[in-house]
Amino acid sequence: MSDGDRNPAAAPRPLADVQGDGRWLALHHRFIADSKDKEPEVVFIGDALVQLLQQFEIWRELFSPLHALNFGLGGDGTQHVLWRLQQGEMQHIWPKIVVVWVGTNNHGHTAEQVAGGIEAIVRLLQEQQPQARVVVLGLLPRGQGPNPLRERNRRVNELLQARLPRLPNACFLDADPGFVHSDGAISHHDMYDYLHLTRHGYARLCPRLHALLLRLLGECQGAGP
Amino acid sequence: MSQGDSNPAAVPHAAEDIQGDDRWMSQHNRFVLDCKDKEPDVLFVGDSMVQLLQQYEIWRELFSPLHALNFGIGGDTTAHVLWRLKNGELENIKPKVIVVWVGTNNHENTAEEVAGGIEAIVRLINTRQPQAKVIVLSLLPRGEKPNPLRQKNAKVNQLLKASLPKLASVQLLDVSGGFVHSDGAISCHDMFDFLHLTGGGYAKICKPLHELIMQLLEETPEEKQAALA
Repeated sequence: MSDGDRNPAAAPRPLADVQGDGRWLALHHRFIADSKDKEPEVVFIGDALVQLLQQFEIWRELFSPLHALNFGLGGDGTQHVLWRLQQGEMQHIWPKIVVVWVGTNNHGHTAEQVAGGIEAIVRLLQEQQPQARVVVLGLLPRGQGPNPLRERNRRVNELLQARLPRLPNACFLDADPGFVHSDGAISHHDMYDYLHLTRHGYARLCPRLHALLLRLLGECQGAGP
Repeated sequence: MSQGDSNPAAVPHAAEDIQGDDRWMSQHNRFVLDCKDKEPDVLFVGDSMVQLLQQYEIWRELFSPLHALNFGIGGDTTAHVLWRLKNGELENIKPKVIVVWVGTNNHENTAEEVAGGIEAIVRLINTRQPQAKVIVLSLLPRGEKPNPLRQKNAKVNQLLKASLPKLASVQLLDVSGGFVHSDGAISCHDMFDFLHLTGGGYAKICKPLHELIMQLLEETPEEKQAALA
């Protein structure tokens, strides 16, 4: 909370409705309302990479069976996810695992700021959801060829890899299966616009995440009454 | 061409690389290369409504078999599509049908300007691809509940209904019905974020679209004869 003064990526902030149809807020309220009678074991929260995942068959194959909910919102930066959590987006649910995947849309923020924003999310989750393990997914490379955003995302991952082990119940997973080819290019077969994943891109990335979730859920079970 | 001075939605405009990874230009360049390599019979051009369509199974079922190419880019306005079509995305190809779906992202423009931008796209296609039959898809309603953008998009559709019949080889396919329920709400089952379509949402519009494309393809004088020989 104090972080916010110095780090814009860690200052909770709603997404402004510049377009005029109130979709962002409507979805935030829908997430709250729809979760009232659900008991998810896993909740995914983040940006379009989370949101779009649910549009593909792989969600039904791998994650629905784990009783997962999807709170992804396209365009979100860390400050938006923070705001949603602070405003009680998860107030009705107590999942065993929260998967956090956000940071690539934090334009204008440095890698340190973005990492700080993600850490603020993890710390807020630890307060609100003390029973949950938090899995932070690494930011993916983007753009067809090498560019500064790849460097920034890589640096964010580096910082998170170092810092997250210090936070209780949090872990970092770099699920990039090697989207950047030896010539430095990303293929549109993996990312149709060099940012968002295709079905094929998700199929390459999800197995590692799925395996981790199974392991963590198994550990939760082992630790049960 | 003359309208361009007074209508910003009808002035070709490349997207600026604000984020820093040049993805818009990369996608455009890829489409230009596609034009050199491929021989589409059907071309789809527009914004994310077009682009996302290709991510769902329905594209492979209904449109790949028709040798269709997808030149959708998320976020595009009429001005962006105009620029792309003028700068290589209509070269080296001779599609029989071109589907145009754009306008919902024209936030800086009035309904009249948006309709004018779509008309400018059709006129450009008429010039560069005189053999192509053009299908303009209506703009869809958006937002969970009634809001000004729904009215604006409906107005664009209304204007196009009046103006497109005056242009050559083009028709408006209105697929905007069936999304707004009696209580004025749009469902997440049709539009997962009250703008972009789910697989189910696309199924609703692709049925009439596919039918119309098939009809137009059948009408096209052939080349089929030459292929059979």
